[in-house]
This record gives sequence, structure tokens and C-alpha cells, in this order.
Amino acid sequence: MTCPPWLLRLGIGRRRFPIWLPLFLLWPLAAALAIVLAPLVLLLALILRPLGWGRLVLLSGPLLFRFLCALRGLEVNLNLGSRLLQISFK
Amino acid sequence: MSDSQKRILDLLAEKKISVDEAQRLLSLTEPGKDTGTQGPEESAGTKGKPRYFRVQVQPEAGSGKESVNVRIPMALIHAGMKLTSLIPGHASDEVNEALREKGIDFDVRNLKPEDFEELVAALTDLEVDVKGGREKVHIYVE
Repeated sequence: MTCPPWLLRLGIGRRRFPIWLPLFLLWPLAAALAIVLAPLVLLLALILRPLGWGRLVLLSGPLLFRFLCALRGLEVNLNLGSRLLQISFK
Repeated sequence: MSDSQKRILDLLAEKKISVDEAQRLLSLTEPGKDTGTQGPEESAGTKGKPRYFRVQVQPEAGSGKESVNVRIPMALIHAGMKLTSLIPGHASDEVNEALREKGIDFDVRNLKPEDFEELVAALTDLEVDVKGGREKVHIYVE
């Protein structure tokens, strides 16, 4: 099973060295938050079911997790002359 | 025998290439043979499913320094496809209507993960090279 990216390398402007953000520090907090919010999400899904949004609310968590996992390996390097943008999920 | 192999033999018969060159070219056309000189799409084909979708825009020599290099994991595209299956019916209608206003006659409900699998399989053979006046665009999967 894949896991979410551990590091985010971010470079904006003309910085010589990009910033390395330790995403792995966020995941335990996000997991704790997901556990706390799970009953509320379930309740919200039941309320919104008649409107057709129940399934979306219920599955949004797992799909969001899958989306985060899939971010690993994403790289965007834009060099527009005076502007520079580097995003890399490791 | 594939068309490319026949073509190589034709070139050899016409004495446009040497025996050594023909041998080298024929070895390149053999499936699964690792010659170390394969392109990105070929390496993806022999190694299985492609993992990344790449878009590179490089400036031609002496025409500025602007460049774009994007690597998108196929899993990310796949995850996005899964999200579309959760769109409620009435939201799909609104999206279709907005697309129609832009002149795009497309039904988002027709987007299915199975179609995406077929598309990914087809992408292994895809490589697009566009050479413009100032930039060179290279789109491929790896």
C-alpha cells in the first residue's frame, strides 16, 4: 500500500535553495483529526443522503487519502524568466 | 516479421545501410530487448504500465531561459478519475451545461475508470514532439 508523501520541496521566486517541508509531521495529526471527525461525517452523510450528496461525503475521506498518496512523485518546475516555481512531493 | 523489420531489410537490400547498422537496428526492433538506448515510451512499454505523464517545454538554443517541466503520477490522474464517479447526477448536468456553453459537447457521466485504463494502455505508445519557433514541447509517458 502506498503512503502519503513525506516531504514537499517548494521553491518560489529566485531562492537559491528550495524549502523542504516535512509533511510526515502532519499525517499523525491528520489521522487523529479524521478519527475525531468520523462520527460527524457519518451523520452529515445521513443528513445529505436525500439530496444526493451522502455518498460523496461518506467517500470523500478515503478518496482524499488516496489522492494524497498519489501526490508522491508529482513534480512541477516552471521557469518563466524572472519567476521560478518548483514543487516536488517526495 | 514487423513492418519496421521489413523496412530495415529493404534498406539493406538497397545498400543504403551496412550489415552492422541493419543488425543494430533489427536488435532495437526486437521486443523486450534492453539495448540501453530506448526512448521513454519504449522503456515504459517493456517495463509495464507507465507511472508518470511528462510534459517538457524547453527553449531552443539562444531563445531565452523559460522552461516547463511537469511530471504527473498516473496514480494522481487515476485518483481524479475516481472522484468524478462521486459527482451527483444534478451536478453532472450543470457541468455538462457549462461545457456546452463553451462549445464542448461532452457528458462527464461517460467518464469511467475502465476507459481510463484503456487510455493509459494506449499512452505507452505515445510521444509528442513539437518544435516551434522558440520552444520545443515534448509530451510522453514513462
